[in-house]
Order: sequence, then C-alpha cells, then structure tokens
Amino acid sequence: MKVFYFEYKRESSIIHKLDPRAKLVYLILFTILTVYFTNPIILFLIFLSSLPMAILGKIVKKWIISIKGSLFFIVFIFIFNFIGIFWTTGNIIDTIIISIAMAIRFVSLISIFSIFFLSTSPEDLMQSMIKLKLPYEYVLTFNMAMRFVPTLAREAQTIIDAQKSRGLEFEKGNIFQKVKKYIPILIPLIISSLRRAEIIADAMESRAFGASKTRSFLYTITMSKIDFIFIIICIIIFTLFILIFKDILLHTIGLNS
Amino acid sequence: MIEFHNVFFSYQPGKDILKNINLKVNKGELLAILGPNGAGKTTLIKHINGLLKPQRGYVEVLGMNTKETTVAVLARHVGFVFQNPDHQLFAETVEKEIMFALINFNFPENEIKERVEKILHELDLIEYRNRSPFMLSGGERKRVALASVLCYDPSILILDEPTIGQDYRQKLNLINLINKLNKEGKTVIIVTHDIEFVADFIPRCIIMSDGRIVADGPTEEVLTNSKLLLENSLLPPQLVEISLALNISPPTINFEKLVSFIRKIIESEE
Repeated sequence: MKVFYFEYKRESSIIHKLDPRAKLVYLILFTILTVYFTNPIILFLIFLSSLPMAILGKIVKKWIISIKGSLFFIVFIFIFNFIGIFWTTGNIIDTIIISIAMAIRFVSLISIFSIFFLSTSPEDLMQSMIKLKLPYEYVLTFNMAMRFVPTLAREAQTIIDAQKSRGLEFEKGNIFQKVKKYIPILIPLIISSLRRAEIIADAMESRAFGASKTRSFLYTITMSKIDFIFIIICIIIFTLFILIFKDILLHTIGLNS
Repeated sequence: MIEFHNVFFSYQPGKDILKNINLKVNKGELLAILGPNGAGKTTLIKHINGLLKPQRGYVEVLGMNTKETTVAVLARHVGFVFQNPDHQLFAETVEKEIMFALINFNFPENEIKERVEKILHELDLIEYRNRSPFMLSGGERKRVALASVLCYDPSILILDEPTIGQDYRQKLNLINLINKLNKEGKTVIIVTHDIEFVADFIPRCIIMSDGRIVADGPTEEVLTNSKLLLENSLLPPQLVEISLALNISPPTINFEKLVSFIRKIIESEE
C-alpha cells in the first residue's frame, strides 16, 4: 500500500530547513516546466533535476519508493495516451513519442511533489499557507487531509486483511471481477473515514474551534538568506530551460504539421 | 493442530516483532493470549491464517505449512474475527454480509440459505436480517462480524479483542457462545487485555512480551504469578490481589476457593 509515499519525517538537511514558501516557488516553477514542455528528452532532464534535491534532502530512498509506486500509473497513462493518440493521428512514431512524454511528465510531477512533501513538515506548510493569506479553515482542512493519508493507508491494509480472512481472493477472475472485488475494501474504508471525520469535528468543537476570528500561533516561520538564494537558483534554472529549449516543443520530432 | 517452530518475523529489517516463537495448540483447546501493547499478539495470530508468513522458522496449521498455502485455503479452516467490525462490514444487509464468505468459499446455494438462517438464529440477529449493518449499534455490529465468520463453520476460531466495548451481559453471552463452540470441538484462541475475563473463563493462558512468549500454562498458574504479571505491565486479577493481601498461599483465581479461605480466616478469628 505504498502508492504515493509522501509521509514526512523529521530530518536535518538543507532542504528540510528551507522555508516552505521557497520550496513552494520550486514546486510551482518546476510544475510549470513539466506542463510547458512536450519533448520527452527535456521532460526527462526536468525529472533528473529533482535528483540533486533528493540527495541534498537525504530522502533518496523514500523518493525512489514514491517513483516506484507510480510505475503502475505510468503504464496506464502510456497505454491510454497511446490508444487515444493513435486513434486520432494514426501516426505510430508520433504516438509512441507523445505517450512516452506523457508518462515522463507524470513521473516528473510525482517526483517534484514527493520532494516537496517529504521535506516539508505539515506545520511548516500550514504556516506558509497562512502567510500567503489563505483562509485558516481551508489551510487546516488541507493539512488534516495530508496528515490522514498514512492513517488511511494503514486502515486499508487492515481491511484488506479482514476481507482476505473471509476468503476474498484478489488474484482470481477477469478484470471486471477484479474491480468488483474492491467494493468490500472501499466501502468500509469510506464509512470509517466518515465516522472519523465526525469524531474529529466533535473533538474540535469541544475545544472551541472557531471561537475567535483572529488566531495566534505557537511559532512562526521566517525567510532567511539561504531561502532567497534557493529561490534565485530556481528562477535561473527555470529561465534557462525556457530560453534554451523554447523552440524545441515538438518541432524537432516533426509533429507540428 | 497449530504449531509454531522457531518463528521470527519483522516488518522492518533489524526490528524483530516475533522472536523465536515456539507454540503448540491442540485440537479443541481454549486459550487466551495476553500481553502489553506492542508485544506482538496480533502479529502472532496473523500467522495462523497466513496473512503473515514467517521469515524464519515455520508455522503448521492442520498439517499445512502456511508458507506454501494461500490465505483463502487457510481461511476456510481458520476463522478470524478482527477487533473492529467496521473494518469488514460492507454489505447492504446483515444477511448479505453473512453470505459474503459463504459465496467466496463456493458453498452451494441451498446450503448458503440454510447456514445464514442457522447463524442468524444462533446469534440472535434474526430481526436485523434485512437491516443495513451500518445502522446497528456497536455491540450488534460486533455480533454480525462474528456471525459472518462463524457461518462457514471453521474448525479454528481466532478472536481479536472480543470483549472491548462490551458490557458484562454481552461478555457472558460471548463466553457462553465460546464455550458452546469449544464443546463442539472447535479450537478457540482469544487475544485480549481483559485479564478478569481470562481469569474467570479461559483454561489456558499465554503471556507475550516484546515479541516472546514469556509464560504458557494453565490460567490458574500463570495469572497467580503476580511478579511475572507486573513485570509485563499486566495488573493481576482482583482475586489474586485479595489472596496476596490476605497472605493466602498459593493465591487463587477461583472465587469459591477464595471464599472458603476467607470463611476459614473469619472463623478462626472468632
């Protein structure tokens, strides 16, 4: 059950110490890059650029786990793009190249997002969102959703165990039968999540959540010199990519006709 | 019937959760596994129906090596009721919930009907048969979960924390049912923190601590060893504490025995 391994763990590294807002700049700029380019080689370069981040952040192992976890989806994305594009264009080479590009784009996105979430503590993230003047209720909702991902994964495992103990076999049957086998997993998972949400809401209200309009915080975050340097480096790489490769969208592989 | 031979297991390398477990359970036994949180109780019982496979050593259930047998095959003989019924209930009605395992194990249709009927009566669920399991109370949901396992008549029954959140009357109903199943020849294993429940009703008792079995024997012997219990974060049963306070030796978990001891003391005082 380690599909997206975004679980944060306290660690002391340069990347962990960066202000979340600086990392947010990285996240946004590099996401724009992956969406902007369609050439598989450039997309692969963007993907590679997250490797130094993973090394500096001492999160290579977890980063690899989340990349591995996304492999299943990559195959899906490749197949669906392949079928769709081949259907409309009928050009086999272009189809393969674009499908590969889409798959790499997805891995790059997973890579960038997992580096961000693996190196940013939920509290810091919440602080930075509040500094960006987002409404507190939304920030808290987002933060709690993130916090419950591992809990949900553990719960899913228990439910799978419980249903396997009642003779449910995932390996048997054709694809439709297999999909149907997920119903006994999904329903308990959704229901217990709803039950938990209700309990959390009660717990929050009993601790006077929303009683005062202005909130104060136990600690706040500040931008330091290194954060600004990091942001500048990100902007430079971003601009370089755009300047150098802006002409190589798809022209080079003859797809613009 | 169930045999653990030098079983080791860990979720992460270097952090053994089970350390050299050796255990033998005979057919028709009724036993409880006690121990502090994180002792490895749940990990141990998950080896019996093959949800977890030993990393070293081996587990044999009814002559089958669990490493070479699928969970589905083992589950046919080993009924496993999880602690939280909400982790398994999913069907629209109680009846369909009970049918789930029977369909998975390919029972013929007429037999499914018979078995559902029988178990609904046995567990006093007949009036809820067309209700959604989610609309029932906590205790009722626990009973539905139990019914959905008991219906296929497994020869080994494992109950993880069956007494949690149950009042005394429900506990009595539970032990009556367990005793009845045990008399029919079923092997029953209970994982629990409820030491009074074990002292009152369960003949054999195992204590686990830090991945090892630290005690295994008749409940009367194990639960009267207060030093052993306190070392393993367990509070001795109240009867044992009374026996110790009154310097009754050997201490006892038997109510009648204790009463007659106290009578003797009172009479000698007079």
